[in-house]
Amino acid sequence: MALTQEDVRGIADYARIALEGEELAAMTAYMNDAVAMLEPVLAYNLPDVEPTFHPIGDLSNVMRDDAVAPARDLSRDAALGNAQSTRGDSFRVPSILGEGEA
Amino acid sequence: MMARSFDTLTAAEIAAGIAAGDFSAAEVCVAALDAIAAREPEVQAFLQVTPELAQDAAARIDAARAAGEALPPLAGVPVAIKDNMNLTGTRTTCASRMLETYESPYTATCVARMLAAGCIPVGKANMDEFAFGSSTDSSAYHPTNNPWDTARVPGGSSGGSAAAVAAGMVPLSLGSDTGGSIRQPAALCGIVGMKPTYGAVSRYGVVAFGSSLDQVGPFGRTVEDVALAMDALVAGGHDAYDSTSQEVAPAFAAAAAAAGEGLAGVRIGMVPAFMEAEGLTPEVRRGVERAAQTLADAGATIVEVDLPHVDAAIAAYYVIGPAEAFSNLARFDGIRYGYQEPGCTNLAAQSALSRAHGFGDEAKRRQMLGAYLLSSGVYDTYYYAAQKARTLITADYNAAFAQVDAILMPATPHAAFRHGEISDPTQMYLSDMYTISLNIAGNGGIVVPVGLGEDTGLPMAAQLVAPAFADERLVTYAAAIERGLANGNNGASVLGVAPAFAGKGGELR
Repeated sequence: MALTQEDVRGIADYARIALEGEELAAMTAYMNDAVAMLEPVLAYNLPDVEPTFHPIGDLSNVMRDDAVAPARDLSRDAALGNAQSTRGDSFRVPSILGEGEA
Repeated sequence: MMARSFDTLTAAEIAAGIAAGDFSAAEVCVAALDAIAAREPEVQAFLQVTPELAQDAAARIDAARAAGEALPPLAGVPVAIKDNMNLTGTRTTCASRMLETYESPYTATCVARMLAAGCIPVGKANMDEFAFGSSTDSSAYHPTNNPWDTARVPGGSSGGSAAAVAAGMVPLSLGSDTGGSIRQPAALCGIVGMKPTYGAVSRYGVVAFGSSLDQVGPFGRTVEDVALAMDALVAGGHDAYDSTSQEVAPAFAAAAAAAGEGLAGVRIGMVPAFMEAEGLTPEVRRGVERAAQTLADAGATIVEVDLPHVDAAIAAYYVIGPAEAFSNLARFDGIRYGYQEPGCTNLAAQSALSRAHGFGDEAKRRQMLGAYLLSSGVYDTYYYAAQKARTLITADYNAAFAQVDAILMPATPHAAFRHGEISDPTQMYLSDMYTISLNIAGNGGIVVPVGLGEDTGLPMAAQLVAPAFADERLVTYAAAIERGLANGNNGASVLGVAPAFAGKGGELR
């Protein structure tokens, strides 16, 4: 079943990408083309085949020493240096629920 | 010595010349920057040129030589770095507005290892935005032109890295390959490009696209140069900062030299369905057949093999790739780094508008597709099916490699296309039909030029594929193709620097 523009608006909300107007319409057309292209993979939903999630299959829970690594750790200035809004030693964000200052 | 452009030299020759005192690293650096100044206006391979970093690195090489220290293997060799790799002192933009002002806070392991091997970093190379593409036309800043025909694309996503090497601005560059992003541009630009087995090269400091698919690898104009770069990339062993990185012996240069001993006893597979595929142009097919003949002439036996499930690779990839990309790119929320929409009164609006205006069209498409595929109810249908197809594709390769040492196949279905010629995104995805199954299965591949096409006059290439962690074979067999085809060309390379740019600036005094 084809995805409607309202379906795609819902996906955009989930993906946190604001889409409106012509861009939403174009994205809807793309999503339907792309999903149609994926059709051949559905034939592989086979009960007797195990999925492979990663090419290096036996990797799990890699542990390392719980130690400070000064050569690797970012300084506070470096960590804040690429943010567009900061105040003091913090990242600055708008209010979560609205109402707050811009 | 007669003056000549530094582009006539391979990386191996540059390092040897500096070690012997024929010229200094500083002179090579000046020549490379001069070649870039002369050629870059027509090629536009770079997003940032870094003369100061290059001059500083060259000065360190010359000082080490003056002090009588042993020089590292690639001492003084100019290198270009794809712009999704962090290098302190440069921006890492991924060719996106999202990261227009992002200053690298540290240096990626792959870059650090090239620098440790003596390379001098001359700049950051253009790419498709966040590596989503096969043309480099989706860069937010400018397209890159194919040095063999500037009306055409260099391929992608590592198109800037490939074009910089093909135009003779650098002998070596680094790219990354998630579905063919090293191998396809290498083929379209007439150079050598290698995607090693997943895990061979550390991904630490490379902006993630598909974490189970991404792999870093080198471009060069000769197999030997690519082999030297591979040795540099793996020489440090396992990288503690990338838990998927594996120990790989730095035996690539030795493997390239071993091609001189011939290929007696080597079995090379070919997949009939690949050679008869719809969309494969006759000139590409003839090029691959030429490579097969060359391998046979060197002593290899050519046999047919089958990869029955590989037809599912594109569909499986466009489930797994977008799903992983959506997860990875969720971090771009406009808070800690990246474009931030001004004037928003709440956090959700700031995130959604920063992402809408920071990302370009294809980056949004891939994330939207990934978001849909990972959503409730859809996930079970597509994601598991794709990962099961992955199991079967991997098993196909294992079965084939029980019969043969490597598989020879096309790298791309056709020569370089014109800017804008493929405008439909799902059509563009088919550019990856011969490269993508390796990212799914994880094993390595190398692309080697086989001459110019009879119909288009553009570079043609063949791809060799080996079992996981048998990448040194790729180098040996590719070197055998190169030697076989280069007769009369001094064995240096099959195609060399694109003729419109060869010798343009870059005189080495």
